[in-house]
Amino acid sequence: MAEYFSMFFQYLPRLLGGLRLTIIIAVFGILIAVVLGILICILSISGKKPLVKLANLYITVIRGIPLMILALFLYFGVIKNSLPLLTSASLILGLNASAYMAEIFRAGIQAIDYGQTEAARSLGLSYVQTMRKIILPQAVKIMIPSLMNQFITSLKDTAILSAISVNELTMVSKTIIARNYKAFEVYSYAAILYIILITALTILSKYVERRLSYDKR
Amino acid sequence: MSESIIEVKHLYKVFGELEVLRDISFSVDEGEVVCVIGPSGSGKSTLLRCLNKLEETQGGDIVVLSQKLANVRNINHYRENIGMVFQHFNLFPNYTVLENVMLAPVMLKKMSKEQAKEKALELLDLVGLKDKQNVYPVTLSGGQKQRVAIARALAMNPKIMLFDEPTSALDPEMVGEVLEVMKKLANEGMTMVVVTHEMGFAREVADRVIFMEDGYIVEEAAPDDMFSSPKSERCRKFLSSVLPGTGRKMAGPKLVEDCAVAM
Repeated sequence: MAEYFSMFFQYLPRLLGGLRLTIIIAVFGILIAVVLGILICILSISGKKPLVKLANLYITVIRGIPLMILALFLYFGVIKNSLPLLTSASLILGLNASAYMAEIFRAGIQAIDYGQTEAARSLGLSYVQTMRKIILPQAVKIMIPSLMNQFITSLKDTAILSAISVNELTMVSKTIIARNYKAFEVYSYAAILYIILITALTILSKYVERRLSYDKR
Repeated sequence: MSESIIEVKHLYKVFGELEVLRDISFSVDEGEVVCVIGPSGSGKSTLLRCLNKLEETQGGDIVVLSQKLANVRNINHYRENIGMVFQHFNLFPNYTVLENVMLAPVMLKKMSKEQAKEKALELLDLVGLKDKQNVYPVTLSGGQKQRVAIARALAMNPKIMLFDEPTSALDPEMVGEVLEVMKKLANEGMTMVVVTHEMGFAREVADRVIFMEDGYIVEEAAPDDMFSSPKSERCRKFLSSVLPGTGRKMAGPKLVEDCAVAM
């Protein structure tokens, strides 16, 4: 037992180094996903048939490809050496998550009763004003649990990016184990670090959810 | 001689295959209160929604405040003059009662924040809900919600108020309070078009009643004439099915509160 802990502290600096990259890739990946997701969502709620079809096609294709294949294909088949590894990794993760984000945004917006739009428009508000002041504030509140889920999924998906040799937490663990064969110990350390990070994220999301609630007073 | 404030000519509307409005023509004068009655599915609500372009039409003309709707460039400006009250209130749950009422005038730069607040409080006072200004809509009863919705529509100083079955989603005991507010508005000279099942209200407050069925205006008359001696068989049938005491002649105006039972 004592050995388990001493080994933990022995490898902690290297694991934290990996965790740092995990966080960086996840943050940039999620940012990219949010931006792309918003764009795709705008297409799919535009009501213009060709645009809706385009959005659906994008979502179908991206969702249909396993992240591992997407990563290998894009990194080794398309990007090759034209982009730095971290940028490529964030881009791949972002692309993958953007399809899910787009669906979360769309579902959130469409969950708001159409009567809200009618009421706002009948007062003379424009479409954009209605979206900004009436629909989105309500929709975001509905979206938060699903968004958090997606954030957590994306964070964990960074592990798959070890396939393209990104030195994130999973890759670091693998490297350490290749030297010392302590799979039980080192993978459990990695698992513990993931759990801590994701628990922190969950607590944050609960906080945000509470801050945004207006109908439980 | 008062001017027509709403003029509808040969209005035609289809939903896919279904003809909802067929050749609807009528007009509303300034200060007039017109109630539209008829069985469900007759097109009353659709007609009302066409007036501020919540529905697209396929034929005919709508002229409101001398503006031909088909030629309106900025629909948002057009709608500022027309307040609308919905069956399901549609208050904004993410804003307080006061914010609900203030939102549009402030956003559309009709008034400064202070002016809008003053006006909003005045209106909330009118509908008897000044003490609820800082609560969220979720805490209100149906009748209170609808009264706030009326105040919200009035905040833009509309020239016309449209009511789309404003009491149909209410518990019976709350119908009276909403009708009371509407009556007050009517007495102040607001031009109102009210789609309703409240025959008592129509009889007491309306200047004119329009009976619709199957997308046509079947009959149009002063309320007393309409309710005591409907000309068409269809109107007679409808009235006898919704009014208590089938076929009985109703004499004299009835109190709004009493007639809440009629729904």
